[in-house]
Amino acid sequence: MASEAQAHPGQGHDHDAHGVDSSGHDSHEHGHFGPEMWVIPERSGLVSGVVERQQAGSGLLRWVFIVGGLLTILGIVGFVLKLVTVGFSDHRDWGFYVAAFAFVFTLSASAPLAACAFRFTKSHWRRPLTRIAEVFSLVSIVNILLFIPALIALPEIGVMTESGEEMVRRSIWFQELSNPSGWLMASMIGLVFCSLSILWLSAMPDMAQSRSLVTGFRASLYARLAGGWYGTKRQWQIQKGGLAILGGLYFMLVVFVQFLIVSDFAMAMIPGWKDSILPPFYTVISFQGGLAAILLTAYALRRWGGYRDYMGQAPFWAASKVLLGLTLLHTYHLFAFFITYWYGRLEVEQAILNYLMFKSYIGIFWAQLFFTFFIPFPILVSNHARREGWGAPLAAVFILIGLLLFHIRIFAAAFAAAPADLHGLYYLPSDAFAFPALLLPPPGATFPDLWDIFMILGGVGIVLFLLRVGLMILPPLCLWEMKEGSMYQRVDTLIRGRYLVLAKPE
Amino acid sequence: MAMQGIMGLLRNAMPAASAKHTVLGVFSDAESAATAGDELKSAGIPDTDYDFLTDSPYPEGSLGERDEPHRLYLYPFIGALLGLSSGIMITAMTQVAYPLVTGGKPVLSLPPMAIVCYEGTMLGAILFTVIGIVFESRLPKFDLGLYDNRITQGFLGLRVKAEPEQSREVVQIMNAAGAVDVKTDQ
Repeated sequence: MASEAQAHPGQGHDHDAHGVDSSGHDSHEHGHFGPEMWVIPERSGLVSGVVERQQAGSGLLRWVFIVGGLLTILGIVGFVLKLVTVGFSDHRDWGFYVAAFAFVFTLSASAPLAACAFRFTKSHWRRPLTRIAEVFSLVSIVNILLFIPALIALPEIGVMTESGEEMVRRSIWFQELSNPSGWLMASMIGLVFCSLSILWLSAMPDMAQSRSLVTGFRASLYARLAGGWYGTKRQWQIQKGGLAILGGLYFMLVVFVQFLIVSDFAMAMIPGWKDSILPPFYTVISFQGGLAAILLTAYALRRWGGYRDYMGQAPFWAASKVLLGLTLLHTYHLFAFFITYWYGRLEVEQAILNYLMFKSYIGIFWAQLFFTFFIPFPILVSNHARREGWGAPLAAVFILIGLLLFHIRIFAAAFAAAPADLHGLYYLPSDAFAFPALLLPPPGATFPDLWDIFMILGGVGIVLFLLRVGLMILPPLCLWEMKEGSMYQRVDTLIRGRYLVLAKPE
Repeated sequence: MAMQGIMGLLRNAMPAASAKHTVLGVFSDAESAATAGDELKSAGIPDTDYDFLTDSPYPEGSLGERDEPHRLYLYPFIGALLGLSSGIMITAMTQVAYPLVTGGKPVLSLPPMAIVCYEGTMLGAILFTVIGIVFESRLPKFDLGLYDNRITQGFLGLRVKAEPEQSREVVQIMNAAGAVDVKTDQ
């Protein structure tokens, strides 16, 4: 097994293939940790090994491809039939579609950030996870397509009264009478462009190193995208600097686009909902969902995809603490949102609490709370579950279900709250205290029709499908980072235990 | 600066016009490669004439290589400035051209303008960073030149551009330092 083994040409091997080091210590004495905690793959065979593993595929990954593809087709069918049956005349028909779009956006936009963030913090355990995180950039391409119907369904910002007076809906945009499609779409395209640039820059050395080992479409793609990379110091420096700068810009942009999405497609759609906590809350929950998606994918690759020799338990162990922190932050923000409105006790605030939490959507609210906090929290708190590597992926399954419920509760509910006329959404100038009556009593919950269910399933399916395609096209592991890691890490004996020894050149 | 980048791009895209020979030494370990680099320096070959080729980034200076100054950090600033200027112009000119008073707010209100300006700043910075990466890393390079696939397996390459009369000495230096293979383009 590759765990605890490191081969570096010319530097000799500390351990033989059975994990016995040169001093005669049996590496079954692993101290506090199991033998699979740290896996440091052999550098010399990494590229060929991963390419072979990737070409061999696995049963699970084939199923992901098939199921993802079928669900995507189902989603397309649902969308077409919805469009044919109801059209875009009433935005309230498209709430579940927007929820599905926002779910895909949340996962695919936040996941690549994990690669940037853990690279910034120089967390060595990140190495097996970074490519998986970056491959979500490919999934994010579909955000541009999915965004178009959502923008069409978004009500206009301005309306013209019968007397000829122009009235403008409450919005974060400056005086536009149409909906701000241009700016929203530009931000989405910029975000996708940035995440794809990060993926390209990070994958370029790997494509260059693999180009002689692959055939067909991938050989052609690698030859084009690797751009003559041969690994000079200048190229590595620019790559490192570029990843740092683009990572920083990506963080600044993803938070901004999340702010736009949640403000325009949720908050502005519910009369009287003015909430400074919602954008950061949405950001936190999307980070939580993005990390959960990465960990679940990594676990599937390790457990069923044949990558056990390249990925130990340490990435899950370390990332689960981050996931625990995000889970707690999520719940804190949820409580902060609640307590602010509950304490304020204005009529409109009570109406919104009743609508989103305690009356109309009470079932989905509690289900979401269980899936995003009450179930994952004890799993993530458990040292045993974290250390064994299965705790974080198990918690991730529940978190992702909760995340989907969150999007339905927030976006579908927001789109269903009010009609887009002068007496529905909040238009200015108007009596600022007259509109809250709209939600008193709060409207009932809206349930999805068959086409909505198809579209929600399609949202899940397209993530699975594109993720699988991405992992087929690109090496699923960041090979150059893994090699760099094998240069800086080894497992050695301290007294009676085996521990990770780490060099930190920076 | 941008012109320098374009010239560098063109220079690298074209086959080398100089009469220098290229020698590639392949080393199984970093110590031997670094020793060969030191010996080349001692033999009077400028450090701008040789490059270490590696399959992963090595710590700064660990191979005794030259510093590689670059200006990548300038690109996002330029892009951000252009994007910010565009954002200010678009929002200000639109509002001045179509002065709508909303909720009693001034026509030129900074908070709503800030959203568009921020977006413009980010988009400009990202676009220029990617342009900067392409220019500064001298990509794409259509002619890969001398290379050895063992470099992808953890070996190190030392590629030297040497005058024809120096090529033999370079080969000897590499062999003496422990190169497992030495290739030339001749």
